[in-house]
Amino acid sequence: MNPIDIITAYWPRLIDGTLMTIRLTLMGAFIAALVSPWLALVRVNAPIAVQAPIRIYVSFMRGTPLLAQLFLIFYGSGQFRPVLEAWGLWTFFRDPFSCALLAFALNSTAYQTEILRGGILGVPQGEIESAKAIGMNPLQILRRVVAPHAYRIAWPALGNEVILLMKASALASIVTVFDLMGRTRQVFSRTFDFSVYLWAALIYLCLTATFVFLWRLFERWMNHELGLAKTPSAAPQAWETRP
Amino acid sequence: MTQSDIVLKADKIHKTFGQVEVLKGISLQARNHDVISILGSSGSGKSTFLRCLNFLETPTSGTVTLHGEEVVVRNGKPANPRQIEQLRKRLGMVFQQFNLWSHRTVIENVMEGPVIVKRETKADARDKAEALLQRVGLTERMNAYPSQLSGGQQQRVAIARALAMEPDVILFDEPTSALDPELVDEVLKVMQSLAGEGRTMILVTHEMGFAREVSSEVVFLHEGRVAEQGPPQEMFAHPKTEVFERFIAKVK
Repeated sequence: MNPIDIITAYWPRLIDGTLMTIRLTLMGAFIAALVSPWLALVRVNAPIAVQAPIRIYVSFMRGTPLLAQLFLIFYGSGQFRPVLEAWGLWTFFRDPFSCALLAFALNSTAYQTEILRGGILGVPQGEIESAKAIGMNPLQILRRVVAPHAYRIAWPALGNEVILLMKASALASIVTVFDLMGRTRQVFSRTFDFSVYLWAALIYLCLTATFVFLWRLFERWMNHELGLAKTPSAAPQAWETRP
Repeated sequence: MTQSDIVLKADKIHKTFGQVEVLKGISLQARNHDVISILGSSGSGKSTFLRCLNFLETPTSGTVTLHGEEVVVRNGKPANPRQIEQLRKRLGMVFQQFNLWSHRTVIENVMEGPVIVKRETKADARDKAEALLQRVGLTERMNAYPSQLSGGQQQRVAIARALAMEPDVILFDEPTSALDPELVDEVLKVMQSLAGEGRTMILVTHEMGFAREVSSEVVFLHEGRVAEQGPPQEMFAHPKTEVFERFIAKVK
């Protein structure tokens, strides 16, 4: 078969896989985005004893391979089946999609926490002080001063994190999730035509490019709304890549 | 003068950073319409003292009283954060580095306090902000962002922002020290007009001319203590202490 035949014959599967990849990535990133700001705040403001569990969590998640974390959740949970059944959690852990989602959300939370921590540390101290001096309470300072600055600083690094997560989501295919990678492998095992991998690469590339475009568009809009074209130098660099 | 004229009172304020005692018992009373200039060489503790008045620094000991209500400090911390917020609402502050919110426009900066802290409606806050910006001569730059303004303009916005809260006392922490020399006057003029309309002001400054001509009282700090205090004309004409005499000679 030539590459065109592959795509005409199997495009529904590849589209299906692509949608699954998008779903897995966005849901994972979104759950992480809900949790990480609070962890980042604790990480910046709380006493060392309260920070300790978060530090350990972040170190573990960033210091071990995502694949190992995924296996730990998917295969590891089988060991505790009776307990999980008793708690009514078995249906969750039996499902490869929810296991992958959990692994990605936990992993991304750790990265996003560190990125946002950098953002919070980059908020101009003087602007916090003037907010205090005018009589704002801590919640108002958080909402009106800290959050807008921290997100503006962290935005590029957060986008990078989502892209890394999207590419890492191919790991889900190993625990039988039919994401884009899973579908590609399935097609390959039927046709033994490697060109399907090229099509998959192309689709991943399109996904990433589209995402980067949208993210930058939003960044431009946000900076315009906030009247700032320049980002403070405190922006954390996402130099750490995923395993 | 009766006791009730006293708006803000600080009594025996001490402040220690680590091993260093920066303030060694400073007391000060501001009556209505007072303009008090705090002078002193660098390291004398004048900025720290000012920051103790609105609890940006918590005094190690001593009391701050606003309109007869004493701020309660327990174990080196304000006992009630709400009380501090109430105090700060009534004490405006203008910083050396302006500290405008860089992500908000000029008028948004001025509206922020009334809308967020005092819960005024946006329409009311906008009317008031427009009037205040007109007063400090920045009507045209209303929709600009702070980074697009000169230092003098930013400081005038900061003054408008403080005024928008209708404070009982305005604290100025070296308001002209970060400005280019040619921009100092525009800020001093605004401050002078505030003094002229009877605003109660406490300022830390290096502007001797302003201290001398505009303020009703001068407090000279030296090594964390009040070395000399009194009406400016008399103090500058006849310094009682050697340190103040040397200080005047140096800054002239």
